Amino acid sequence: MQQLTDEIRAIARKLLRDKQVDVVIGFERGSMPLRRRPCFVRKEEDADRLVWDGWCENTLATYLPKRKEKAAIVAKGCDSRAVVELIKEKQVQRDQIIVIGVPCRGMIDRAQVEASVAPARIAQAEEDPDFEETLRRTGSLHDCCKTCAHPNPVLYDVLAGEPLPQKVQDPFADIEAFNTMKPEERWAYLSREVEKCIRCYACRNACPLCYCPECFVDASLPQWVGKSVDASDTMIFHLMRAYHLAGRCVSCGACERACPVGVDIGKLNRMLLKEVRDLFGYEAGLGLDEKSPMATFRLDDPESFIVNP
Amino acid sequence: MPFISKILKKERLSGFLERLVRDRQVFAPVKKGEVILIREIDSPSQVILEYRNAKESPKSVFFPQRETLFRYRAEKGKAEVDVPSGAGKGRVLFGIRPCDARGLLLLDKVFGGGSSDPYYTDKRSSMVVVSLGCVDPNPSCFCLSMGGGPCSAEGSDLLLLDLGDRYIAQAESEKGVALLEDQAFEKSDEKSLSLAEKTRKQAEASMQPVAKKANLEQELERLFSDPVWKDLAESCLSCGICTYLCPTCHCFDLCDEASGQAGERIRVWDSCQFPLFTQQASGFNPRPTVKERFRQRIMHKLSYLPKSQSMTGCVGCGRCVTECPVNLDIREVMVSLSEGNER
Amino acid sequence: MVCDSGSLGVRRMADSGKWEPKIVAFLCNWCSYAGADLAGTSRIQYPPNVRIIRVPCSGRVNPFFILSSLQKGVDGVLVSGCHPGECHYLTGNYSARRKFALLKSLLEFVGVEEGRVQFSWVSASEGVRFAKLVEKVTNKVRALGPAKRLVKTPPQGVVHAAAHR
Repeated sequence: MQQLTDEIRAIARKLLRDKQVDVVIGFERGSMPLRRRPCFVRKEEDADRLVWDGWCENTLATYLPKRKEKAAIVAKGCDSRAVVELIKEKQVQRDQIIVIGVPCRGMIDRAQVEASVAPARIAQAEEDPDFEETLRRTGSLHDCCKTCAHPNPVLYDVLAGEPLPQKVQDPFADIEAFNTMKPEERWAYLSREVEKCIRCYACRNACPLCYCPECFVDASLPQWVGKSVDASDTMIFHLMRAYHLAGRCVSCGACERACPVGVDIGKLNRMLLKEVRDLFGYEAGLGLDEKSPMATFRLDDPESFIVNP
Repeated sequence: MPFISKILKKERLSGFLERLVRDRQVFAPVKKGEVILIREIDSPSQVILEYRNAKESPKSVFFPQRETLFRYRAEKGKAEVDVPSGAGKGRVLFGIRPCDARGLLLLDKVFGGGSSDPYYTDKRSSMVVVSLGCVDPNPSCFCLSMGGGPCSAEGSDLLLLDLGDRYIAQAESEKGVALLEDQAFEKSDEKSLSLAEKTRKQAEASMQPVAKKANLEQELERLFSDPVWKDLAESCLSCGICTYLCPTCHCFDLCDEASGQAGERIRVWDSCQFPLFTQQASGFNPRPTVKERFRQRIMHKLSYLPKSQSMTGCVGCGRCVTECPVNLDIREVMVSLSEGNER
Repeated sequence: MVCDSGSLGVRRMADSGKWEPKIVAFLCNWCSYAGADLAGTSRIQYPPNVRIIRVPCSGRVNPFFILSSLQKGVDGVLVSGCHPGECHYLTGNYSARRKFALLKSLLEFVGVEEGRVQFSWVSASEGVRFAKLVEKVTNKVRALGPAKRLVKTPPQGVVHAAAHR
């Protein structure tokens, strides 16, 4: 990990020195143990603030839309896929950014690590990829990282480190398992989850693909969904945010991590990703030339859902 | 107010809560999934007291995310308006932390005062606040630096402090004294009192002070246009978590929800961090970027509120620090702005 | 036009107290609405449970229309457009087809009963088909019972854990 940190710093220094970019968007140490956070480096000497390890969980792609300066971004697999989608949706220009791709072994879930040492508190922590005594790294990853099939950036200008082997796994096993539950059980589970929601919109704001200047929740003429934590309105908010992300979500998990009360948002987002894959054969963020599924159609699209009297 | 304290043996706590629940509505920390929240309880077994702090602050007990202000129904040219009735029986807020209790004092000033808000004051006046002092504050807690303290009694009617096998209960008001009448409480003793004092000092000593200037709130006005704000705010997502979880933040929006000829006017939480918070009908927005909005929050808490309400807007609970998805830290902001005095 | 009235019997008006489903139908102006109109002029009987809202094209139907209807307590929603290839605006129903496939899956995934929200194609000449469609959908929704999920509690009561009395 230190090697990757050094590489990223070296790349950043060079980019800033050669004035190829105005800012390098990466990660720095946070103000508490196990926290890393986004940082914006504009001077060559500040490049030493940049770090890279298994706690760098934020999705930096969310800082790209509406940015006027030339920017370099440290991008994991999921970040790079978000960048691809943003370029396709014309929120970012390809030649305005330099993608520093970093193959990612998955980000560790801080909450799991803290829970495993509770009631003690972690005063400080360093990461060692070979350390297996207390916790296995793979067991403590964020849920979305556990099922990630794209550890390597799909789009990059320069790659730090070596590409990682692609994992072959079914990212939707939990969705399929959920589908075997009866409808009333599914409704009960999701209602309980959504009951926790306080409508803070952190999920929306952390998402790299939620960039609308006026979100549907802000619309008042007509008001599509009420602003309060009413059970029906809150469910509609989550359903429609997931729906608006259908075929665009890259499973980065930023929404789930941002949520202060732990709503299982990923279930809805990922269910639609599975549908989009099964119905239209599309996965988000893999190709600049692939048309977004909801912006196009095929003459032979599936229509088994159509009712024929 | 004479100093009255009693002892509550831990095995008697459950009985005390049973009797409270019988006659009143009791709100206390409970576990919901993985998260501790303040909710109404119907049994003492639901209460969690071995906890750092609740995810949400107790403000939602007095100032809920959704509150119906009135309902109306229009029929045959006549309209009926109906205001929800107030809180019924007595209420107890049990086991909250001193920072949150102190936060209620700020809300009292905002919602009380000259033109008071009956929806808040009605719930507040019937409430007895029993706080639980912090014996082992989090690294993210900084109440001491904001004029409070881990065992501060400000805002509480009764303050409990964990002494191991028992709590020492200190009454701060008539309401608190009344609670101490319960059979669960017994006389306190010198040993307990001195242990309480020792515990308090230990808790305070364990906290890292925030290296901010003493006169920061006066200096902040001068620093309004300082370029440092752009750097401080750059990673902010405008998500609103800080304001929603903050014990003193209180911005709200009024909405009408109509269904044919009937409807209701509701109050919902709003946030100065939301991009459209200051959007005007003309399309102009005086706080168009994260820089202006982030600055607004800091200025409001550390400069405007102390001026207008003679009380800090930040009680140092640390929720915004731990829950911010991008780890923006108000303590670092205070330090950075304090250093800026030299600029 | 006579139809085999065995399957299209007239649905009696609801006896007082007996629940009858209320179904909202979004019909595209050029095909489905015309088809419904033809059913009417041909005097084909079909259940009166359907309330029709005319839209220019099935592609105009915003998923929020469907969700808002469910919030307001409607028991079933039907959306019908031109057959693929026959859209008056050429490709509106192709977009609609993708949207509705996803919306239907999503609603069923969260536990909204299968059969509450339905999509179909009815052309302007298919009066009989429209009537049969309404009969089929109405029967299905009647069997499901009144809608409870996603219904927004009307103004008289507010129900939520975060709101304290």
